[in-house]
Amino acid sequence: MKRALSIVMLVVMFAVLVTACAPKPEPAAAPAPEATPAAAEQPAAEKKLKIAFAYQDLETEFWVAGHKAIVETLKAKGIEVIEFNANEDANKQLEQVNDAIAQKVDGIIIIPQDGESAVAIGEACNSAGIPFGVFNRPPSNKDAKALVAVADNVTISAKAMEHMALEARKVFEKTGKKVKPLVMVGDLGDPNAVGRYQGFKNVYEKNKDIFTEYIEVPTKWDSNTALANLKSAMAANKDVGLLFCGSDFLYPVIKSVLEPLGKWQKIGDPNHIIMGAVDGDMTAGKLMDEGYVDATAVQDLYYEAELILTGMLEAIEKGEKTPEKWMDDPGFALTQANMGEMKMRMWGNKLRQEKGEL
Amino acid sequence: MFLKGSPTERNKSDVKDLFVKVLLSEYFIVFFCLLIFVSLMPVTPHIASRANINNIMSNLWPLFIIAIGQTVVLIVAGIDLSQTSIIAITSVVGAAIMTSKADPTLFEKSPLWGWFLTESGGPLAGEPAAIYAAIFVMILIGVGIGCFNGFFIHKFKMPPFMVTLVSQMLFSALAIYLTKSENIIGLPKNFKAIGSGSIMKIIPYSMIFAIVVAVLAAILLNKTVLGKWLYLVGSNPKASAVIGVPTGKVIIFAYAFSGFCAAMGSVLLSARLIAGRPTLGQTMLMDVVGAAVIGGTSLFGGKGKVSWTLFGALFFVILANALNMMKLPFYVVDMAKGIVIIIAVAFDVLRIEIKRRTNVM
Amino acid sequence: MGENILALRNISKAFYGIKALSDVSIRVEKGEVLGIIGENGAGKSTLMNIVGGVLQPDSGDMLLYDQPYKPKNTMDANASKIAFIHQELNLCNNLTVAENIFLIDFPKINKIPYINKREMNRLAHEAIKAVGLQCPPDTLIEKLSQGERQLVEIAKAFSMDAQVIIFDEPTTSLTARETERLFKIIGDLKQKGRSIIYISHILSDIQKLTDRIVVLRDGNVTAEGTTSSFNIDSMIFNMIGRDMKHIYPERKNVVSDEKKVELVNITKKGIVSNINLHAHEGEVVGIFGLMGSGRTELMHIFFGLDSFESGEIKIKGKLKSKNTAVQSIKQGVAFVTENRREEGLMLEMTVLENLSFVAMPNLASRFLRFIDKSRIADKAAAISQRLRIKSGAIEKSAAKSLSGGNQQKVVIGKWLMTSPEIFIVDEPTRGIDVGAKFEVYSVINNLACDGAAVLVVSSEIEELMGICDRIYVMSRGEITGCVGQDEFDRETILRYAFGQCAFNKNASHESEVQQ
Repeated sequence: MKRALSIVMLVVMFAVLVTACAPKPEPAAAPAPEATPAAAEQPAAEKKLKIAFAYQDLETEFWVAGHKAIVETLKAKGIEVIEFNANEDANKQLEQVNDAIAQKVDGIIIIPQDGESAVAIGEACNSAGIPFGVFNRPPSNKDAKALVAVADNVTISAKAMEHMALEARKVFEKTGKKVKPLVMVGDLGDPNAVGRYQGFKNVYEKNKDIFTEYIEVPTKWDSNTALANLKSAMAANKDVGLLFCGSDFLYPVIKSVLEPLGKWQKIGDPNHIIMGAVDGDMTAGKLMDEGYVDATAVQDLYYEAELILTGMLEAIEKGEKTPEKWMDDPGFALTQANMGEMKMRMWGNKLRQEKGEL
Repeated sequence: MFLKGSPTERNKSDVKDLFVKVLLSEYFIVFFCLLIFVSLMPVTPHIASRANINNIMSNLWPLFIIAIGQTVVLIVAGIDLSQTSIIAITSVVGAAIMTSKADPTLFEKSPLWGWFLTESGGPLAGEPAAIYAAIFVMILIGVGIGCFNGFFIHKFKMPPFMVTLVSQMLFSALAIYLTKSENIIGLPKNFKAIGSGSIMKIIPYSMIFAIVVAVLAAILLNKTVLGKWLYLVGSNPKASAVIGVPTGKVIIFAYAFSGFCAAMGSVLLSARLIAGRPTLGQTMLMDVVGAAVIGGTSLFGGKGKVSWTLFGALFFVILANALNMMKLPFYVVDMAKGIVIIIAVAFDVLRIEIKRRTNVM
Repeated sequence: MGENILALRNISKAFYGIKALSDVSIRVEKGEVLGIIGENGAGKSTLMNIVGGVLQPDSGDMLLYDQPYKPKNTMDANASKIAFIHQELNLCNNLTVAENIFLIDFPKINKIPYINKREMNRLAHEAIKAVGLQCPPDTLIEKLSQGERQLVEIAKAFSMDAQVIIFDEPTTSLTARETERLFKIIGDLKQKGRSIIYISHILSDIQKLTDRIVVLRDGNVTAEGTTSSFNIDSMIFNMIGRDMKHIYPERKNVVSDEKKVELVNITKKGIVSNINLHAHEGEVVGIFGLMGSGRTELMHIFFGLDSFESGEIKIKGKLKSKNTAVQSIKQGVAFVTENRREEGLMLEMTVLENLSFVAMPNLASRFLRFIDKSRIADKAAAISQRLRIKSGAIEKSAAKSLSGGNQQKVVIGKWLMTSPEIFIVDEPTRGIDVGAKFEVYSVINNLACDGAAVLVVSSEIEELMGICDRIYVMSRGEITGCVGQDEFDRETILRYAFGQCAFNKNASHESEVQQ
């Protein structure tokens, strides 16, 4: 009995398998004839669009705000959003996107775990003929056709760093001693981290006359790693005078390391370390107001969300299956010098205002 | 027959019989999968679309292969937590061998830089045999780590949980160290085909990989002396030693086989993402052990089958797929997953209890 | 006739339609030792589980001091001052003696759920003193010997002031000395007016210890009477329902001169020293020793499950090259281990599978060693017939479903599959009933008739005297004597076992010191 049952089961399984696999080329081809006439015959507004949004995780304030920006904008436009959280697993994200493809969504937007997986996922979307968009963290190469909205990390980091270099020069002129810079680098698999590091290095090279060799602290975009590495770096180098960090979300870590050393001081204090980071979140906004932080390289989150969504909807409307467009968010640097005019352009400060903090 | 009561009553008892039969079947989990599948069809019709079934299948194979290895280790009353790090390190090394480009800014600090990995890629960059060599080396590493685990477990009588936990940390760290946490890209096009290609667009390569491993494992477990020894050592190591089973070698073999399966799984996973990733597979452990155990393999050794594990893996894949299909908010997904797994396990316990009672009768 | 403390009237109990007890009525008098005997499955344990509150009867009732007694669980039984000391002791090895004694009802400080440790240890001290156990109450159970653990169980019964104490096979894992002490304590308890129900397979103990005997067979009482009205033969007759001419099979084996096994000066520090031993073709050689004498350890060394430091092992005249189990099996040695359940059987697996394991590699294909299922099945079927293993279809019934005797036959049978010439049999009849014992003895006898050398390790002297040609006696890791069939005598063997050495005088001196 058992044996018979198991044989039947296996036969059924196999049958399912074969029927599943046999018409494999179909699904890729099938949506095409359906989708194009649909788009052509009816105005897009009548058909409710479905867009999948797959993000790597919602660990930091930045990603939460980004997630909110996208989901709210989409919902406001009457578009159905299907969300996937990959919990920082690139393979899982690929499977989720495949599931979304199987559901025949109209577009897929991802925040990838890293640049490499964005390529593999993009290729899957391309071959299924579904428009593919990447938010904030660009693919590492152009093998996959994608809509990319990303901040110009090199430029905004350099802008913020330039202000910090000016401050450092003042210190150098006053004391005659070269300033020792420290840079906290993100996960170098993330092109954003590479870009921010590059922006720092560009300014550093131009101002070598006032800087000693810089100290590099890897963070892997992980608080625990950052904490351990920064602690040991600060212990070995007591004379750090400038700190540039790849992301605002690490400020609590930085504070917890510097405070016991007596180096968490406001601007003007002789022990103040010139400080700046990238993103522009609420913490950064607050710390700049309080005078602990000198400069923040700001990516315009809402603008980027708007960019990617406009691009995506345009592509869907035109019936493009593999749109390709690189959309830069120029961003800006908020410094203590331009606080007056630029402060409210930073998304972190906008959020603070919404919450009534400002 | 005529005296047995009204037809409806008879039907009722037939239905009950069928229910009990299904519950007691060793393939109960298949019916559970079908239940999930069928009950979701009205809600999300996409679940039964060909594209989606295809998708379920392609997600199934890597998990299945890796879980087969776990099953063999569970049969000898062990556990292999290091499979995830075997996946990671073989992925990285395999990719390093066959990649055709490596960005110096990323890899300058890697210990492989210069002698193994250069700007023009790995040692076999561009060679047609690179894929085969890479897969061979990946398997070699997997088996090697498995032997390492087995050796410590057998020789020093260390608990498998600790040994494999340590090697999980050790080799995962090594994978990260080797690449400085970077992903290695630029893999040959043919390698990508292993992950997503298929023969004549009908039979995916990944399925062939999985079936080969599964048939190998099934023959091993059912038809060979070594296979029986695995069960013996798992169910009663003392008695096995008495009747002349080389328990040490059997244990080492089990872990080596688990390493082999993890390496094969790594080939498929790396090929799907077209990259060597030092963090590959890190979140898979739950699904791998879960697939084996829900299929019916005992955590206490001596019990397990390849077919059971196939259905256990199918369960996890269908569950993930179904949850992805349901447009749930992301935080609900994991909760729902947990609840369904608990229900499945509860049913499993229930049916074992019923079986035990009916046996007594 | 004394006063009835406990009376069971027409107790019946069935499990899933199979009658375990039908209409059983027994009574227990104050201050008596009642022996209950019967084969395995006769219903002794079911009956006692009903008295102890573990099971509830389907029909019938019980009276305790002429009051209805209906325990729903063991707690109820304990509250009614009935204590049940199981064969497998119910002690928590990781707790102390005192904690185990008061596990159910810890002395508390007033009503607060806080254990009054000092009070507990004081009470425990009294209880263990009463049973003659000499250890502080805060000793961990795992540090005690089996006999001492038994005493803790008795102390537990003492502390709850039990009036009826049930002993289920209490001596199976006790040394001779511990058994003597147990009997003395049972005597004391009786003096104090406690009633004892004593269950055992060892009929000589029953004869010695009890006042009255109840014999059970297939859930019925087949005989009841004062102990003096029974002799061993009548007990057996009532137990198995037929006359058994002999407890031991007739010996027909022929001992040849050829030495199949020879151990020369085997020594392992702290375990065995200077062991010289041999067995001929067709000979059954007994190895007797008290617990801890090193007999089992010696067999482990001989078979290659353990290493030794010096000496040599010769099998069929050839020096054993590598001392491993694999090598032993290759050279034709079989080891029927002491613990069937732990070292002998895969309980969950079928009889066929259990029979096949030893021979499996030999019957497999050369290439990749595929199993030849049909050859194994044929051979196993033949063995199962030859040993008359009683089970369902051997490819279906699990080993755990067999009775003890049949399980033992499976353990022996799996070795017969490779036709070995030397057998080591460790405690072959432990925990199996009289009928099955006879069959196991016959199997051993037949092996010798077929020319095998059989080494039988046992702690039952009568058993060894019944089936062996020669008996070695061990004490504290040494062989203290060797007795031939014509000199078999209980006293002599015991004297050697207590350390009085036949070969050198030092040992006898030591034994005096010990005594």
